[in-house]
Amino acid sequence: MLETVDLCVSYGAVKALNGMNLVVPRGEVTAVIGANGAGKSTLMRTLAGLVTPQSGKVLFDGVSISGHKPEDIVRNGMALVPEGRSTIPELTVEENLRLGGLWRNKSDRGASKNVVFDLFPILGERASMRADTLSGGERQQLAIGRALMSNPKCLLLDEPSLGLAPLIVTQILELVSRLAKETNLAVLLVEQNAVTALRVATTGVVLNLGEVVKSGPAAEISSDEELRHAYLGY
Amino acid sequence: MSNVKNLRTFPGNRLVWHAVIVGIVWLLLLLLNNNIDPLYSSYLALIAMYATAMFGMTILVGLSGQVSLGNGALMAVGGYVFALTSMNWQTVPVFGWQWNAVWSMVFAGLGGILIGGVVGGLAARLKGPYLAGLTLGLAVGVPAIANRFPELLGGENGLMLTVPYPNGGYAAAAVVSPDPAGDLATGAATDPGLDPNAVAGDDQYAELDLSGFDQGDGAGTEIAPGDLISEGDLLTQDDLLTEEDLLGAGDLGTDGADPGVDVGTDLGTDLGADPTTGVDSGLIDGFDSGFIIERWQASMAIAVACLVAFAALNLIRGRQGRVWKAVRDDPIAAAVVGISPSGSKVSAFVISSLFAALAGAVFAQILSFIGPGAFGLGLSLSLLVGIVLGGRASLLGAILGALIIVWLPELVNGLSGGRGWPDQITNNAPNLLYGLLVVAVVLAAPGGITGTIRSWIDKARGKTRSPLS
Amino acid sequence: MTNFLDYLLGGFSNGAVIALMALALVLVWRSTRMINFAQVGQAMFTTYIALTVQQSTGNWLLALVVAMGAGLILGTIVFFLVIRPVKNSDTTGAIIATFGVLIALQAAAGMIWGGDPEGFIPPVSNAGLEFAGRVWPISLYDILVWTVTAALVVGLTLLFTKTSLGLSMRASAFNPEVARLSGVRVNRMLITGWALAGATGAIGGVLIAPVASISPNSFDILLVFAFTAAVIGGLDSLIGAVTFGIGTGLVISLVSGYTDASNAPVVALVLLTVNLLLKPDGVFGHHGARSV
Repeated sequence: MLETVDLCVSYGAVKALNGMNLVVPRGEVTAVIGANGAGKSTLMRTLAGLVTPQSGKVLFDGVSISGHKPEDIVRNGMALVPEGRSTIPELTVEENLRLGGLWRNKSDRGASKNVVFDLFPILGERASMRADTLSGGERQQLAIGRALMSNPKCLLLDEPSLGLAPLIVTQILELVSRLAKETNLAVLLVEQNAVTALRVATTGVVLNLGEVVKSGPAAEISSDEELRHAYLGY
Repeated sequence: MSNVKNLRTFPGNRLVWHAVIVGIVWLLLLLLNNNIDPLYSSYLALIAMYATAMFGMTILVGLSGQVSLGNGALMAVGGYVFALTSMNWQTVPVFGWQWNAVWSMVFAGLGGILIGGVVGGLAARLKGPYLAGLTLGLAVGVPAIANRFPELLGGENGLMLTVPYPNGGYAAAAVVSPDPAGDLATGAATDPGLDPNAVAGDDQYAELDLSGFDQGDGAGTEIAPGDLISEGDLLTQDDLLTEEDLLGAGDLGTDGADPGVDVGTDLGTDLGADPTTGVDSGLIDGFDSGFIIERWQASMAIAVACLVAFAALNLIRGRQGRVWKAVRDDPIAAAVVGISPSGSKVSAFVISSLFAALAGAVFAQILSFIGPGAFGLGLSLSLLVGIVLGGRASLLGAILGALIIVWLPELVNGLSGGRGWPDQITNNAPNLLYGLLVVAVVLAAPGGITGTIRSWIDKARGKTRSPLS
Repeated sequence: MTNFLDYLLGGFSNGAVIALMALALVLVWRSTRMINFAQVGQAMFTTYIALTVQQSTGNWLLALVVAMGAGLILGTIVFFLVIRPVKNSDTTGAIIATFGVLIALQAAAGMIWGGDPEGFIPPVSNAGLEFAGRVWPISLYDILVWTVTAALVVGLTLLFTKTSLGLSMRASAFNPEVARLSGVRVNRMLITGWALAGATGAIGGVLIAPVASISPNSFDILLVFAFTAAVIGGLDSLIGAVTFGIGTGLVISLVSGYTDASNAPVVALVLLTVNLLLKPDGVFGHHGARSV
């Protein structure tokens, strides 16, 4: 579904991604893990179109989308849930969700909204309240919900665990994993919290200083002690 | 090697170096002033005056990054304080000296510091557009205040100013001396006028025909040839003699051939005998070969501009300049290293207000007049335009800005005069150009003229630097 | 008592125009987090255009419509001139650029139409209405002004709260990155904000024209009043702009009536200062106006 070929991204003289090759298939969760500064967020922002790569390609459904604008990439079916506060606190829950699918027609939007409310019932309860009344975990659900409103074929999750209690994180990620399998969604998950990520993922990719160190089945990666010590800090 | 290091880091040496630079420039300007046509001197005076205010803008807008439209209003403050103090306190001796322009300027400066402190204190808490809006209100509101107190501040029509020209300079020109050798005519029409090359004590200097001038005693007593004018006599600007008078027929009459003299007005408060001692104190020393008002205005403006430039240079290239820039570029980081962002913003405001007030005082002296019309929104906008076009963070840019402001309208007038453009076009063309240039500069060359040249130089040297630094 | 009523009602009409200008400022702020100091210059320019139309066709409504169109276009043009420095994070430069546009517009108007004040012919009577045997200080024209202003405010509020366009614009203002990631064409939303602001300001300018004679500098004071009203109301708030626009108009009218017209700018300055000191976010505002 999503593929990068020799992707290179630099910020000035600093090489954030150095020839990265990645494959994200449909129907499963692929986790990219690594320490801080490994290049994970850069990867996500580049895939979503917020950052332009120096060289290399990003292929979505076989078509190159390098250099495309984020708003076009979303409309083509790839949605990013960015790191940190990515809901708009001044808008209501319902408005935040509606925003995610504004460019779609009303009935499609309605269908997606129902899916989101099924997945995250609390959002349905709080639909008319402002987003800043939600807790951290609820806001993360809202952010994911908004991304889902665009009916994506590929979902990018950038560090969803940041600032959230482990239990909540696990809940959310398991929901996402279930969604991936049930709807044939490609999910790329980027995480510092390798344990949780590897638990829900099918494939694990270890990133260090902009390069892929190892990639393979998640179980393999989490049982590789040397790897964990060297790159994941545990 | 260590000597070079000392030169760079030791503040005392830097001060000396700056003084030398400014001193040289001052000298050159004075030389220029004395050798050009007085018409150009008046332009020089205006340029120097605007430059003084611009130096403040360099610090406020360039280094401290605060877009303020208030400096026109602060010039008004300085101008009004100067006018009021020099008009009403003229005979107050301060430390034994007669009140004169310098003291009025000091007070104008103090006024600027005070108001600048108040405004700066308010402004320090505000971000960009709010600050601009508040100072916009100031620019529009302060002239309105002048209308509020017509008795004190002269209302819409403003106040006429008696410029306290330095004593002794021109007064000598009105010397009516005894003529011991008797070789000069007394009041005859063939009076050849004063010999500009004569020196004090030399009985060659002839008398002027002062008929029509009275002694200011209220009784209309005329001055007769042979009357002595004592040093304590104050002459007002209206009595000013210009070069033409001295070299001409010496006739201070109304034939219109001698511009610069207002006949019929009194020669000041006391003529003839010194009221205290009853004695004519005799001749005034120092023979002024020609007091040219435009030259005096220019040299006064240049003096103020150079002093201010010296202060500005030291501030900008010293620690304070770095502090201002640090707060401008990253206030949080600055706070972390112990610099108070609001304190730095206030200091920038105060300094720029001081400079603006001094410029306003100079302006008042050049115009001999102060009124709200001259200090409206247009003035503040001009200052902003000048600093942006010349280069925001550079003193040289300030000078260039002043040049542009004064010279561009003249250029346009010159162009249009030749082609017969209607007034509508000529009067508005400079502003249209200013507006378009400002936008162009911000879009393409944010550093203004000096900033762009600096980046070319840097590029040639292979360095990279933000054009706004 | 009659005086008070006079001033009050006069203040309402002035206030309506200030409200419209303040609305325009708020529209620009909401979309791009900037103050467009050239707003009144744009309004002045489009009002001159309307004047020309009215003088040649005699049709006030047409003049108004043309002014609105010109306002949309001019707003878009100024946006493109001013937005680039913002993109390069030169916010100081952006502020300066808006002043540059203001200066240029005033000069251009002076060149095209001359500096002498011109007057508009109002479409409906400017004279006081007669009712119950006396002449009231309200005229048909005043009612027109209030109606148009109210309609505009209601329309804009509905646009922002009920429509997808409005939601896109609000999202683009609050968080442009998230908006883009949601598929919103943010740049178009910014342009729309500026265009709407231009049209709103144009309407305000045309409405005030019959009451005040226009000249290139006559709108300067309006900028101060509108800015004051917008800031006090909270730059994010349409309601605030309108409320305090009318409020400012009332205060100015009362002050001018009871004391002296030249006090008006000073009063505005005082109001602005007090507000910025005490509650820089304005009465209805949210975000920070203060710096570190």
